[in-house]
Amino acid sequence: MFLKKQPISDQTLNRVIKYLAIALLVLAILFMAIQFKDLWNWITAAIKSAMVPVALAYLIALIIFPLVKYLEKKGIGPRGLSLAIVFILAVGLIFASFYFITPIIISEINNFFSNDFPRIITYITVDMRDTFILGTDIYDRIMAYIEDTNIIGAWLNSLLPTFLASIGSIALPLLTTLALLPILLLYYLIDYEMINERLRSIIPSKHEKNVAELGSRLNQTVGAYLRGQLLLMLAIGAVATIVYKLIGLKYFFVFGLIVGLTNIIPYFGTIIAAVPPIVYAFISAPVGPGPLLVLLVNVVIQFIEGNIFQPIIMGHQLEMHPIVIIVSILFFGSLFGALGVVFASPIAASIRVIWNFFKELKTRKMAQADEGVANSG
Amino acid sequence: MMDVKRKLRIYSQYEINVINFYASMIWLLPMILVVTYVFEVDRLLNINQFIFWTAISNGVITLIGTGVLLLKRDAMKRKVKAGYRNEFVYLLFVCAFGLLGFVVFYDYMGFDRQFIANVLIVTAALLFYILLKLGRKFYKFDYMKKK
Repeated sequence: MFLKKQPISDQTLNRVIKYLAIALLVLAILFMAIQFKDLWNWITAAIKSAMVPVALAYLIALIIFPLVKYLEKKGIGPRGLSLAIVFILAVGLIFASFYFITPIIISEINNFFSNDFPRIITYITVDMRDTFILGTDIYDRIMAYIEDTNIIGAWLNSLLPTFLASIGSIALPLLTTLALLPILLLYYLIDYEMINERLRSIIPSKHEKNVAELGSRLNQTVGAYLRGQLLLMLAIGAVATIVYKLIGLKYFFVFGLIVGLTNIIPYFGTIIAAVPPIVYAFISAPVGPGPLLVLLVNVVIQFIEGNIFQPIIMGHQLEMHPIVIIVSILFFGSLFGALGVVFASPIAASIRVIWNFFKELKTRKMAQADEGVANSG
Repeated sequence: MMDVKRKLRIYSQYEINVINFYASMIWLLPMILVVTYVFEVDRLLNINQFIFWTAISNGVITLIGTGVLLLKRDAMKRKVKAGYRNEFVYLLFVCAFGLLGFVVFYDYMGFDRQFIANVLIVTAALLFYILLKLGRKFYKFDYMKKK
């Protein structure tokens, strides 16, 4: 018995042709873009230099605006006054933390380079030979190879020009962004509602309601992430600093600061932050705590952060499968560099919000269509 | 029947504020000690004197706060929410830093450093249990429950 082959309907054929045409058009655009590569680079660089301060102002506004709103709710107004209070407090906090923290960091770094760095070099070049895990013979061969090829010297020599070149390409945009950011933030926060209203007026009235709803959901998700992450970074950094000091680890302040800063990168941040104190504890043994104790402290801190603090602060809004987070870090990291790594989680969460929103919209439309059919019947 | 009633009772902002305020006051001294410990204030000041004056200020703040709570009691009792998530997050942070401060206090008092981990674990376990109970009963927030 043979099954009769179903003929392709006109509708399916039309759809296939439509998708093929779209794919061809995309390929043609890509081809054209490649032909004018320099022009595109020039345009994207211009967009990037304008967008980075604006995007940063938007992200900081998501943290500051609830505070301004809170003050206004308490009767502290007009907007200029509440904004001035929040600004003065924020600037004061930033200056105070720099004033108190910078001398400690500088003194710890100075201490490290004058006391421990020569000891580490001695350990690697002399003491490590006797305890090298693969035997003294292999150690001698590795050292001979390094000496013959002058690999470290060449790397150090190439490091300085690269560093100087990167200062020019990074420092200038960074300084511009830092100078522009407070001004942009101030104007954005003063006219927060008006700017949002203007942006909304650009959207065609047919889609206005849906876009506004999606925008509000995205704002909520990204805002929740930023506020929660900031709180977590502060808390975990402080806890790590205190615990490191309690166990007698030298340079506890710098190590604690690293834990706080790298906490912004899920999963990888933990490993990055744990490596320097563990290596230091290993090299400086038997003085100070052992590497196992430092490892244990890191594991316990991360366990408490991941299982108690993070679920409570972030809520279920940003709860995603670890594999999704790791893949998004790798993907957005390779696309946007360090910024992509830092913002991989909120970008992934935003994509999920958009996906869920369109799914919801589709279900809503189908339900409406069903209702219409039922009513007409 | 009584148990179900007790479980269903939703507490007002007043009860939550009372818990948060007294928890903050209990942990205020340890929390300040955490900052002094990180920035090594003990090298600049006599730490015993510092603790003494901080404890006195703590007592004064507690008295003023109790007065404010009593004055605003009626207004706060009228405010009721289904859950107090943000308030619980605040309590959690206060307790976490307070616990660390307690360990710092233990160190300042010159007790044996060898037992710091034991003291920390026992106190943390006790605190975790209290927070779990408080969260379930007053804040309507159960962080052991799966979503």
